[in-house]
Amino acid sequence: MSRKITIDPITRIEGHLRIEVEIAGGKVVNAWSSGQMFRGIEVILRGRDPRDAPLFTQRT
Amino acid sequence: MKYCGMLTATMGLSASFIPKVAEVYAAPRQRPPVVWLQFGECTGCSEALLRTMYPWLDELVLEIISLEYHETVMAAAGYQAEDDLKAAIKKYQGKFICIVEGAISTKDNGIYGKIAGKTFLETANEVCRKAGTVISVGNCASFGGIQAAAPNPGGYKGVSDALGIKTVNIPGCPYNPINLVGTLVNYLLLGKLPDLDDLGRPLFAYGTTVHDQCPRRSHFENDEFVKEFGSKEAEMGYCLYQMGCKGPDTYNNCPTVKFNDGTSFPIQAGHPCIGCSQPNFWDKMTPFFESA
Repeated sequence: MSRKITIDPITRIEGHLRIEVEIAGGKVVNAWSSGQMFRGIEVILRGRDPRDAPLFTQRT
Repeated sequence: MKYCGMLTATMGLSASFIPKVAEVYAAPRQRPPVVWLQFGECTGCSEALLRTMYPWLDELVLEIISLEYHETVMAAAGYQAEDDLKAAIKKYQGKFICIVEGAISTKDNGIYGKIAGKTFLETANEVCRKAGTVISVGNCASFGGIQAAAPNPGGYKGVSDALGIKTVNIPGCPYNPINLVGTLVNYLLLGKLPDLDDLGRPLFAYGTTVHDQCPRRSHFENDEFVKEFGSKEAEMGYCLYQMGCKGPDTYNNCPTVKFNDGTSFPIQAGHPCIGCSQPNFWDKMTPFFESA
């Protein structure tokens, strides 16, 4: 008999993280972590002046 | 008292207001409940808040405001955090100040950003509409910021735009914490929000261009320009306009209040202004190192 625990939001971090944990017999048998935000900075960077890139990536 | 003077001056009030500003700090009974939401952002604006000096962060969050919800600093997580948020908006409905950091995804029903299984758009709709006032901090919450830069893959928008509501906007990447504290103290002191420009920005902070307050301005007038980083002209502190400085098109008070207890700001450190308090600056002000 397993049960699943979901923790979302994970706090005291930078970003939006979700953790799902499956527990059976008092032990963790499976776990998933997922970032809950997509902004597409890589897509936004395409075709731009390379000197601008560090200013963009500082904000990831 | 020293920081009361600094803050009073930044808010554009006369020196006679200094004792009144000091009273706001000394009157914990007024502590307004604040709910701080984070959406599409880098947490740089929360980092900026940590660097508040007028007053320091501990005094700000423990004595001046009552911080009900902030994911980066709160102890609760998961369901407990969700319960905290629900309880705060129920208890203080119509009264709390909602401070938003980050932009809201609107494309495909906002699936590009979620917290606790809800999209940013759902949470913003639920919380911001119940707030007494909504303050957008940073360029992302104000105008969409970096994730809204072309081609804006997640359809991100600023809070005002995404929800169709009026917000006080304190843009910057990041904003200067003194401008947020000044806005909050104005609210506590005078019972109203400060006067705003047509982009929702407090005039006390965003009424003048960076160029008009720039310590290098006389070099601009004298045609003394930096043409290469690391050059003799750069060393002499000449004008950075030809290196792409966007100071003439940017409204902010960086040259007068500066950052980190008045230590410095980008132009003083030798870097051209990138225009970070202006809407869509990631598209409109780029390439950053080319003059307009």
